[in-house]
Amino acid sequence: MQVVAFYRNPAWQLELRQGVRAALPAAPGVVAWGLVTGVAMVKSGLAVPWAIAISLLVYAGSAQLATLPLIVAGQPFWIVALAAFVTNLRFVIYSASLRRWFETYSQRRRAVLGYFTGDFTFAMFMERVRREGEFAHRDAWFLGACGFNWVVWQVTSIVGILAATAIPSEWGLQFAGTLALLALAIPLCLEWPGLAGAAVAAPIAVLARGLPFGLGLFAGIVAGICAAVAVDAVVGRRKATVQREGDELS
Amino acid sequence: MNVNMLLVTIGMVLATFMTRAALLLAGQRFKLSPRVEAALRFAPACALAVLIVPEVLVQAGTVNLSFDNPRLAAALAATAFFLWKRSMVGCIVVGMLVVTAFRFV
Repeated sequence: MQVVAFYRNPAWQLELRQGVRAALPAAPGVVAWGLVTGVAMVKSGLAVPWAIAISLLVYAGSAQLATLPLIVAGQPFWIVALAAFVTNLRFVIYSASLRRWFETYSQRRRAVLGYFTGDFTFAMFMERVRREGEFAHRDAWFLGACGFNWVVWQVTSIVGILAATAIPSEWGLQFAGTLALLALAIPLCLEWPGLAGAAVAAPIAVLARGLPFGLGLFAGIVAGICAAVAVDAVVGRRKATVQREGDELS
Repeated sequence: MNVNMLLVTIGMVLATFMTRAALLLAGQRFKLSPRVEAALRFAPACALAVLIVPEVLVQAGTVNLSFDNPRLAAALAATAFFLWKRSMVGCIVVGMLVVTAFRFV
């Protein structure tokens, strides 16, 4: 009997499509971000072919923008790589969070999923597993969401690279990306621990915005997670007390 | 061929790939304590907050908490709309409309 490839499984394909559908509403935000990143790369003085190559291969908007001044100034490659690593540190937290959900998959599948991880798709995936736990074919769902984001981002980023002079930066397009993230964040902040985490993380990021390569963001996330855990413990204790009192009454 | 740009590109690919995939690839060899694992469920809320709030509040390098900050007004309007309709696209549209309105007023 021949083993059927995983991607031929109708259930796998269904989850793939579900993933695409889940990522669809964020597309306007991704379009805006892609355009702005592409424009910024060329306007900073990067040659068009290199801008396209970096966009396609690196696929890390914030790291690409943060390293632009270094690249243009002709800094050695290892300085640029280090800066890209530091700017992308929040993804270490993302992959630490995703790890347990994908540990049973093959090494190659995990490498692919890792490469495609983005801010939007990470938040969307975590929300889905929070609701449903270890659902079947979650690799397909994640790949669908991430793959769709990748295509949208690459197309618009390359449009931005090629049409850089035609797109004025004062349009403030990238704010559409922020608004898409906002729509993902609001439901998470309707619970006390999430709200506390955000309330601690955000001011730290604002106050530490002067730190190089988005280190302030990383510090904010770490502090925010600690705050969320603390509030979660308090909420949990209070729930347990209410439960106990209820049990005693009944 | 620009050798330095080639090295820069390869360096950036490796650096960003490591941040995103190293722990995923470590798989079962990298087990976090159950407490840390549980704490990470709050990572999305915190990560989104640090990505959003500075973009909304910081205007030309300084924090602007007043309503003449177009992005703050837009974010509040978008939040209200999202809480009402639960639509991400609507949230984006309302926010961008408010920001654009500020430009023309």
